[in-house]
Amino acid sequence: MMEQPHDLTVDTPRTWERPVVCVPVLVALSLVGGRFTSFSTEANVYVFGAGGVLIWLGLTKRVQARPAPERLPPGAVWWTLPVLVFGIFEGATFIAAAGDDFPTFSLLADPLLEDRLVRSAAWLVWLSAFWGLVRR
Amino acid sequence: MMRALAIGGFLVGLALFGLVEWLARREGSKIPTLGELCGYVMRYEVGPVPVGRIGLFGFWWWIGWHFLAR
Repeated sequence: MMEQPHDLTVDTPRTWERPVVCVPVLVALSLVGGRFTSFSTEANVYVFGAGGVLIWLGLTKRVQARPAPERLPPGAVWWTLPVLVFGIFEGATFIAAAGDDFPTFSLLADPLLEDRLVRSAAWLVWLSAFWGLVRR
Repeated sequence: MMRALAIGGFLVGLALFGLVEWLARREGSKIPTLGELCGYVMRYEVGPVPVGRIGLFGFWWWIGWHFLAR
């Protein structure tokens, strides 16, 4: 049997890569993740497990990737603005080590993340962004 | 006072991320989206080693551990 030339084949996303499947899966995983409190063994195992699977998927390229740009347009320099602002404040608060008087982003986020719903939402943001990276 | 400065600074930083992403998504924009920027970084390889992919995956993994597990 003749092999199909690669140029003529069409890559269609696998069933589990379609939004109708992966969005509910990400939501379900986030709801489970939101149940685990900080510093718990379950939270650590879950983060390392979920991240490990996603990294494995991303490095073995088992997921259909979107084409990446070969070069960046000059407007890419605008991304340095939010990175600098955020980085300056994170660096300053970290070096000052003044606790709640001049808190780092982590210190500000911690009390918010104690709420189970907010924690699940944070899980959803983290997992969705990770899934987006895997598909790049 | 310093606490308010820190909160304000982080909020401005986050808002700027949103603003630049919004500008990037406009028709004919010369600014790449954050996803395109990440895709470009992830193309970086040293020999057979996908340094860009490993770096971004590792960074995002650490972010998740830092905020959701530690």
